[in-house]
Amino acid sequence: MQLLDIRNLTVEMKTPHGIVRVLDKVNLQLGKGEIHSLVGESGSGKSLLAKAIVGFTNPNWEVTADRLWWNGQDLLAMNTKQRRAVTGRDMAMIFQDPYSYLDPNSTVEQQIVEAIPEGDVRGTFMRRRVDRKTRVKRLLHRVGIRDHESVIDSYPFELSQGVAQKVSIAIAIAHRPRLLIADEPTTAMEPSTKLQIHRLLARLAASQEMSVLLISQDLTSILPETKQLTLLYCGQLMETGPAEEVINHPAHPYTDSMLRMSLQTQQELPHKARLPTLPGAIPTLRHMPIGCRLGPRCPYAQKQCVKAPLATQKQQRVFHCHFPLLELES
Amino acid sequence: MSHLLEVKNLGKTYRPRKAWPWSQKSVAIEPISFHIDAGETLAVMGETGSGKSTLAKIIAGVDNPSSGELWLNGQKLHNQHYQQRCHNIRMIFQDSENSLNTHLTLRKQLEEPLKFNTNLTAQERNEKIDIALRRVGMLTEHGEFYPHMLSSGQKQRVCIARAIILEPQIVVADEALVGLDPSVRAQIINLMLDLQQDMGISYILVTHSPQIVKHIADKILILYRGKMIVFDKTDIVLGDDQQPYVHQLLHDHLNKQIKFKSDKAKKIAD
Repeated sequence: MQLLDIRNLTVEMKTPHGIVRVLDKVNLQLGKGEIHSLVGESGSGKSLLAKAIVGFTNPNWEVTADRLWWNGQDLLAMNTKQRRAVTGRDMAMIFQDPYSYLDPNSTVEQQIVEAIPEGDVRGTFMRRRVDRKTRVKRLLHRVGIRDHESVIDSYPFELSQGVAQKVSIAIAIAHRPRLLIADEPTTAMEPSTKLQIHRLLARLAASQEMSVLLISQDLTSILPETKQLTLLYCGQLMETGPAEEVINHPAHPYTDSMLRMSLQTQQELPHKARLPTLPGAIPTLRHMPIGCRLGPRCPYAQKQCVKAPLATQKQQRVFHCHFPLLELES
Repeated sequence: MSHLLEVKNLGKTYRPRKAWPWSQKSVAIEPISFHIDAGETLAVMGETGSGKSTLAKIIAGVDNPSSGELWLNGQKLHNQHYQQRCHNIRMIFQDSENSLNTHLTLRKQLEEPLKFNTNLTAQERNEKIDIALRRVGMLTEHGEFYPHMLSSGQKQRVCIARAIILEPQIVVADEALVGLDPSVRAQIINLMLDLQQDMGISYILVTHSPQIVKHIADKILILYRGKMIVFDKTDIVLGDDQQPYVHQLLHDHLNKQIKFKSDKAKKIAD
């Protein structure tokens, strides 16, 4: 059974200019211990999807779904208290800029101690203090900070960006969640720090049976261990499927151009040559095109594209396009 | 022949805030020398704290060097002579969202460098702004817009327009391509390459992305804790496997590429 099962999740926002559909019938399945990458440019609604999963919603959003199941329980049918209990027990989230999410006024130790569940700590009053400290050390070791002595009494501003992100991961895994949502954890980091964080997430997923939903901006900065890959554009699902297949044989024009735009795949391009890119800019919330929202920027768009394409399924892959790049054997 | 920009023994030291006159100063950059020619791109690489941003700031004139000199076309650049500096060297910053003034229309923002540095009339200034806006791929009507009405890519374009409006010879870009969306990043790279071709601008690009460096840089300068360890042409640095630090910084990330073979897509595109 899938751990997280989302069918046709729709989020509508009430704005002064009318209701805007910011997420349009998105499907997502996540198994136990799996790494799932969610890729999309800014404004694609990828962070919004994460917020809808953890129930971090605003009163003027309307979240509807055919199914929003967590481990067999319907999250939308719960009341706030039950939902918070489930989310607090099973899910955790880390964000892009660790400095702005760590408390600048308290030390690393104080912040991690706060995240350790009270039920885990055993013993009498003095014992509990010692136990907490050993747990903090153990957590720091687990996220790859060997030299815990120098980190444990530091304030966040004294840490480097990579270490600060590791501390925020330590806080997130303190209560042994079953799902870790990483919202662009490595954007604007140096390549070597990025690699460290990626390795850490992959190791945690493998050793703790923790599922990871990795949100990323760039198709080339996903984890090599990613099992499933989902691409969003302006709130619409473009393509989803096993990562290796999607990257090697993209079916949707958007996946294909995302791959072409990155320099990593264009190794044989001559020095200083112009890069292939999508024309135009990402539409704003007020000016969403009808039908397939990629339409105005898509190199293969034709008349039919003003109607939203239905899902096409081919084995484990699903894509929404009238003119897929993949040949369909019927 | 003199080079476009020649940096001679440039160094920067900071005095700690609470210090005795005889206590040691902390060294941000040890004296370094390098040069670039017209139309070239120099990439400055290094880890955090290696002094690459400090170097960019000194070249752009934001910060003063502790020692050494800058020579432009055989002419010495003076530290406090901002008009001379602005006409020749301009800077683009990392965060385009925060480097524009939210209270001013784009036309007013682009007018400011012209007001401070030239003696043009209002009409001439407006013409220059129109040319600069069109050059970065925007409409002249965008001049009446405020920054919040633009997308992040357009804001970055305005920042570039502000940098090139005085027709400088060198543009210093401090992490200008970090944190942009892939499609926007590709567009901005293309724009920077077009401008280089049309106007013959030299770029000093501070970055930590090996892919971008490999694609657009002519020369690479690598800093390690304030010391310059490599300064050479890109293909020579990339061909050289000797230095372990260079290898770690460049090769490990360049060789890690994902497989990509969409034959069908290529056929359709042709």
